[in-house]
Amino acid sequence: MPENEEYKEVGKSEFRSHCIALCLSKKAVLRLMFATDERDTDNCFKIYAVFSEQGRDMFHIPFFRLREDDLTFRSITDGIPAAHWYEREIMDMFGLVPKYHPDQRRLVFHDSFPANSHPLRKDWTISEKDLNEWGKGVAKKVPHDFLKVEGEGVYEIPVGPIHAGIIEPGHFRFSAVGETILYLEPRMFYTHKGIEKHFEGMSFQEGVRLSERVSGTSTFSHSVAYCMAVERMAGINVTEKAQATRTLLLELERLYNHIGDIGFLCAGTGFTVGNATGSKIKEMLMLLNDRLTKSRYLRGVNTIGGVTMDILLHTTDISLTIDTVAKEYKNLMKLLLGTVSHIERLENAGRLSKETVMKLGVTGIAAKASGIEDDIRRSHPHLIYNKIFDAATFTRQDGDVLARMMARAEEAECSMHMIKTIVEVQYEGDLQVKADDIPPNSHALGYTETPRGSLFYWVKSDGKGRPSRVKLRSPSYCNWPAVPFAAQGNIVPDFPLCNKSFNLSYSGCNM
Amino acid sequence: MENMQFIIIVIFSPLIQGIIKKLKANFQGRVGSSIFQPYYDLMRLFKKEMVVSHVTSWIFRVAPYIVFVSTIMAAIMVPVITTKSTYSITGDIIVLIYIFAMGKFFMALAALDSGTAFGGEGSSREMMVSILVEPMIMLCIFTTAIAAGSTNLAVIAEQHNTILTPSHMLAFFAFMIAIVADTGRIPVDNPDTHLELTMIHEGMLLEYSGRYLALMEWAHYMKQMLLFTIVVDMFFPLGIAYDGGMPEIAVAFGSYFLKILFLAGIMSVVESTRAKLRFFELPSLLGGSFALAVLSLLTLIMIGR
Repeated sequence: MPENEEYKEVGKSEFRSHCIALCLSKKAVLRLMFATDERDTDNCFKIYAVFSEQGRDMFHIPFFRLREDDLTFRSITDGIPAAHWYEREIMDMFGLVPKYHPDQRRLVFHDSFPANSHPLRKDWTISEKDLNEWGKGVAKKVPHDFLKVEGEGVYEIPVGPIHAGIIEPGHFRFSAVGETILYLEPRMFYTHKGIEKHFEGMSFQEGVRLSERVSGTSTFSHSVAYCMAVERMAGINVTEKAQATRTLLLELERLYNHIGDIGFLCAGTGFTVGNATGSKIKEMLMLLNDRLTKSRYLRGVNTIGGVTMDILLHTTDISLTIDTVAKEYKNLMKLLLGTVSHIERLENAGRLSKETVMKLGVTGIAAKASGIEDDIRRSHPHLIYNKIFDAATFTRQDGDVLARMMARAEEAECSMHMIKTIVEVQYEGDLQVKADDIPPNSHALGYTETPRGSLFYWVKSDGKGRPSRVKLRSPSYCNWPAVPFAAQGNIVPDFPLCNKSFNLSYSGCNM
Repeated sequence: MENMQFIIIVIFSPLIQGIIKKLKANFQGRVGSSIFQPYYDLMRLFKKEMVVSHVTSWIFRVAPYIVFVSTIMAAIMVPVITTKSTYSITGDIIVLIYIFAMGKFFMALAALDSGTAFGGEGSSREMMVSILVEPMIMLCIFTTAIAAGSTNLAVIAEQHNTILTPSHMLAFFAFMIAIVADTGRIPVDNPDTHLELTMIHEGMLLEYSGRYLALMEWAHYMKQMLLFTIVVDMFFPLGIAYDGGMPEIAVAFGSYFLKILFLAGIMSVVESTRAKLRFFELPSLLGGSFALAVLSLLTLIMIGR
């Protein structure tokens, strides 16, 4: 078992107080919470919560057992608000009911999904009738119970799930007075893909391809975190060369995302030239990706035990492209910061307070822009980050759209710097080590920092060394609940800008 | 023949839109679509099937025709290349502004009629912008009208000697900002956006499709070119023909297009170098240009030119 994971079984009734104590005494942050169906081996369900300690590379993972005679447990959401989506998801997926959860509505499944159907249970089947009705969309449409805001002049604006632009589906229900947003409730999970269930039917090696397809823009991060989880579970030590390659490509992925996002922010303010320039630089980086890996999204590189191709052969191409990008990027930032009308729009829009960030466990850029240094590359060093990640922090205090843009910009510059550092050094070792034996009945965490924030995978093998549970938590999943808080008090036409500044993935939720 | 000069507006207005789009694309470093793209778009829309919400009333179906016809009516009254036209006797510019207002009124009504959130939003925002823009346009017109001694556009266009006065320059700048606001361009509105929550003009058209949408779009192109033409008539009439003589009309035709292209160029520069304003900051921009318009009128009254 990896050294920085500390599992501890606690009683069902003490779980809540134990978690709250962890948060208070160790300044731990809830990173992920999930259930497993272990009725075939241990005759119970288990619920795990993963806390990462701040200031020390240690994950505290308390868990408790739930026997089938009582499938309810005491919710921890009232003590740790970050748990609110996880617990509702557990309720949908496993039928384990969090008592005293302030929001008892379904989360992942929409209201027309058959009741008492919990897909992540091992014995789950869906009846022919349900499948026909639900699969073909003829099931009774049950309207969702949105929170109502009452008062004189309050009206609701329903937006989506189909939007005027070509983006993924998501519904937003605004309650507004005039143009001012009083309350916003997003509703996601329109295209739930059942990825966690999918993993259970594959071998660990096949799972790499699936993990690459969870979220388009963080393809490489997902496969790194997944491979890392499996490697840690199997006790495989990846060579330095493979680690350097992974770090390099992670930073390339971060770079193209950040520059693309900074440019894309201009689409929200209607500053077309900035948008076009950002896209141009992003394209240069995507073409580099394509030359290096034959895939614009860096697919097909990772495998369990290492990487499949020697990217470090192309160091000249990488450093030349990065030099050009750095120059163009500098001009872009000069253009953006010099366009007063653009910056004016970003200032004070979509403010997210530090308290909200801490309570909801917000991660990545959104946390950094609100004054929380949340970077798993630093707090839990992995790959070769402890050697190349310098001490600079990117935190900003304002928490507005401009702060998020500047946090991105600083991180992008740091990525360019790291890429240059990586390609200057020679690394020893083979590309991959043999990884045939996956130990039965073991489990481990994998994690990395995507362009959007921290990403976690938790894998568990069954008696034959095949996946019995793969839980993944994308940064979008824990950042979506923060968007309504940032939108509150802004005017309706500014919402797309606030939303873009988080740049969350709809697909990243639908696991 | 000179009574048919409005045909120029009807035929060439999509081209002007195409040229502005092309210039904007070039500013962004893109090749952009052909300058004839708006014609293809209109043709495609005219052929397409219409989807009309069953909750709409007759207003929704009648509005595109009212908007289109009222814009053509306005086009008939405006001297494009020659001031000699039998309709231009009725070419009172105040009537013209209210014909525009009528089209806008029906457009807003139709958007409300469809009962969607975005239609309502678009209408209320468009009305707010109109409230700010209309007095500004009126003041600019008064400046030129007082200087020319007539509110008839043809008469105003015949006054060459008064063009480069301080009052006219002030009025010109105020009028240009009014055009930006009235045609739904950056920094007031973003014509190319797909973000339904930010839309003003596009929000009102969101429920339209097929032929109705084609009529609305075409009317919008014509209105844009008409506003340019009014600028040309009021501020740079040099070159416009006074009678129906062929050589004179040919010169007028050429100079008219050069001037329109110049204005289209200004529009694309303004759109490419600025971001859209936050909605509630519009009054400060439009208020500023209103002050310009007031100044232009004061200047005219105080220094007499």
